[in-house]
Amino acid sequence: MSNEPIEAEAKQDPREAVDRSCRGPVLFLAFSAVAWLLVYSLFALLAGVKVHASGMMADSAWLAYGRIQPASQLALQFGFLVQLGLAVSAWVLSHRGKTVLVDGGYLLFGGLLWNAGVTLGICSVLNGGASGLNGLQMPGWVLPLLFFGFVLVGLSLVQTNNRRTDEETSPAQWFLFAATLWLPWVLSGSYLLIHFFHVKGVVTNVVDWWFIQNFAKVYLTFVGLGTLFHFLSVLSGRQLVGRGYAQFAFWVLLLFGSVGGVTVGAPVPAWLPALSTVAAVFYFFGVVAACICIKRTISGASVADNEDSASYDLMRLAALIFIVVNVLNVFFAFPGPGAVAQFTIYGSVMDLFFNLGFVGLTLVAALYHIFPRLAGVDFSPRMTKVQTMAIILGVFGVLPPVALGGLMSGDAVLGSSFYFASLGGLLLLVGSAILFLNFLGAILFSIKNCDCIAGICCRGNKKEINA
Amino acid sequence: MTIGLSFLLGLLAGSVSYFMVGLWWPVAVLVGLFAWLAFGLLDVKMDSTFTLLCGMFLIFCVSLSAMVFQANDQLSGLQYADTRDVDGVEFRYPVPLLGNARYGEAVYKANGCAACHTQQVTHDRVTLDVKALAGEKNLAAAQDAINRFHKATGRESSGGAALGLPAGEWETVVTGANARDALKAQNFLKQAGASVDVQVRFRGEDLIQHDILNPEGRGWGRRRSVASDYLFAEPPMLGSVRIGPDLANIGARTTREVLMSLLLNPASVRAGARMPQHRFLFERVAVGEQGRHIIHDGEQAYRPTEDAEALVDYLMSLKSANYPLPEAPVNKPFTSSIPESASADK
Repeated sequence: MSNEPIEAEAKQDPREAVDRSCRGPVLFLAFSAVAWLLVYSLFALLAGVKVHASGMMADSAWLAYGRIQPASQLALQFGFLVQLGLAVSAWVLSHRGKTVLVDGGYLLFGGLLWNAGVTLGICSVLNGGASGLNGLQMPGWVLPLLFFGFVLVGLSLVQTNNRRTDEETSPAQWFLFAATLWLPWVLSGSYLLIHFFHVKGVVTNVVDWWFIQNFAKVYLTFVGLGTLFHFLSVLSGRQLVGRGYAQFAFWVLLLFGSVGGVTVGAPVPAWLPALSTVAAVFYFFGVVAACICIKRTISGASVADNEDSASYDLMRLAALIFIVVNVLNVFFAFPGPGAVAQFTIYGSVMDLFFNLGFVGLTLVAALYHIFPRLAGVDFSPRMTKVQTMAIILGVFGVLPPVALGGLMSGDAVLGSSFYFASLGGLLLLVGSAILFLNFLGAILFSIKNCDCIAGICCRGNKKEINA
Repeated sequence: MTIGLSFLLGLLAGSVSYFMVGLWWPVAVLVGLFAWLAFGLLDVKMDSTFTLLCGMFLIFCVSLSAMVFQANDQLSGLQYADTRDVDGVEFRYPVPLLGNARYGEAVYKANGCAACHTQQVTHDRVTLDVKALAGEKNLAAAQDAINRFHKATGRESSGGAALGLPAGEWETVVTGANARDALKAQNFLKQAGASVDVQVRFRGEDLIQHDILNPEGRGWGRRRSVASDYLFAEPPMLGSVRIGPDLANIGARTTREVLMSLLLNPASVRAGARMPQHRFLFERVAVGEQGRHIIHDGEQAYRPTEDAEALVDYLMSLKSANYPLPEAPVNKPFTSSIPESASADK
């Protein structure tokens, strides 16, 4: 791809040129992410129904609880979080680096591959091809597809980061850059160990725990924190305060987030759970440093542009959830409390709370800020309000009580908290459906306005005009 | 980065290289110093992609080797172990999945049974009880040893020995002690010339229920699960949530018929069960039809498919947390309370 016309564009009108370069790829990734969120909430609700009505849909194998539930996890993590994370990363990296998005075509193609991978993964899990592991549920043959998809997207992001015009980088860039590299490393490492070298017995589970730990504690946390660092400072019109703390948080979170995740009584040598506890405690140092950084940036600040107040408030809520989840995590990492929570639904609900409440909310808030700049039209304000309320209620109002219920009722007991969880599922479905329609409507509207068709489809013509 | 933060970072780096990577301590101190200097005085250039990349790659290698490769080194050499079943018959453990059970494992995997059922038995703690036997000659010395033991450990004196040790009779000295205390009691009593007998009890919700020894037990195994139990599992489906019971030794505590009925309609076995029905594993047949495996549910009759048969074969083969292993013994009762002939066998 020739870069000269793009550079010429960049000189003309920096921010708009950057947005123009991001438009197609970022909107594509964001749209598929929103679609996957809808798929997730559908499957999650179905899984909930299966628990209440034991005889319902019992004649079709692909609707078995054990197939829908992992499929929903897949749609949430790999469909929604990773893709929206990539979309937001692309936008932040190019804006922070004050450069156009390099090789957006790679990003588009990689995104296509990634979507194909997730679709195939979900279909084969529903078809009974699951791997039987907790974290890497999809069958082994899907992973290379996902890997190459991500690498193509990553190529574009890394090149964009390398061509930044500012010498000094901000913490947001470190975190997003590290996340972009970390996931393919961990994904390919786990794939090779499990499906190529065929590690024996419980070592398979150790690799799986390692992947889960790295995915949540490093990849998702870094995407969330990077996005928060960027937007909290931009939306409040301030610089990020406490670069040293961010640096400290970066290395500590990376080092201690990448080991551990083994539960207390797991049938593995005792040093693995012990290592996990130690790592969780040290990890918390990094969390504290990150929180100090966020706190200093937003204390006393208010949103600079009133249009962004929704994004800003959502992000502050997400930051709060980040702190709460991590405080609870470090508490339950100790053997005593850990043994109480083990095997109850507390753990999975907390993971969901982290995924949706921290990472999901942060990314959706970022989307609210990015979308109008890319598409040229805003989401419908009324629908936005409803969907935001539904998602917040679904996440914040329902999940903590369910987690508490799981903790109190213990393992192998189904309490009433399951009914409550389905209420959350329903709210989430409403929220994500409205978000999807909102997104689709806004895109259609902007395509109708013709201006954007030129932006998305006829970039080639524009280049010629510029030349 | 400020000098305080960078010192903390150096401290962390040093302790990681000593405790987690296992470096020789002077090297670990050097690593810590280096990290402190690099971040504090020389101020690592976070603006350089190269620095970021090197640091990240280093951490990736540390994480992979500290967690995965070490575990693999330790566990990849696991072999069969000799064990004995409840009747005392010796055999090699674990037993590979035979016949249909291997296919049943694939059915278990495909239908995501691990989403609700774990296959890992845990225990909370181990406690030891100590009994002593002293003759007329060393009765005073033994009584003195017991007193010294209570003084040394600060334990309340309990059991029959609190009332004084009778000569020529086994008497309980301490119950529910941890390993260190039990060892102390054993040493004191042996020095005093008394005979000592130790009983090992494993406590925990998952283990077999016993009115006195483990009242909270649910009977999911006689011992905790260990890595050797999963030598032949592909992959080990340990599970993380127990919405249903643990299945590690389901084969030892139920029958084929119950499992079949559970798969078809759980409510027919246990009222109010939340387990979903798995009718897709069965074929409906005419009500009057006769056959060995036909199951009646309400007014309908069903015949299990091959998948259901294989799945139940697999479940019946799961008996893992039952047999003692060197690294996971089962309860060991007082040998003195076993009749002479039985203890002579061992």
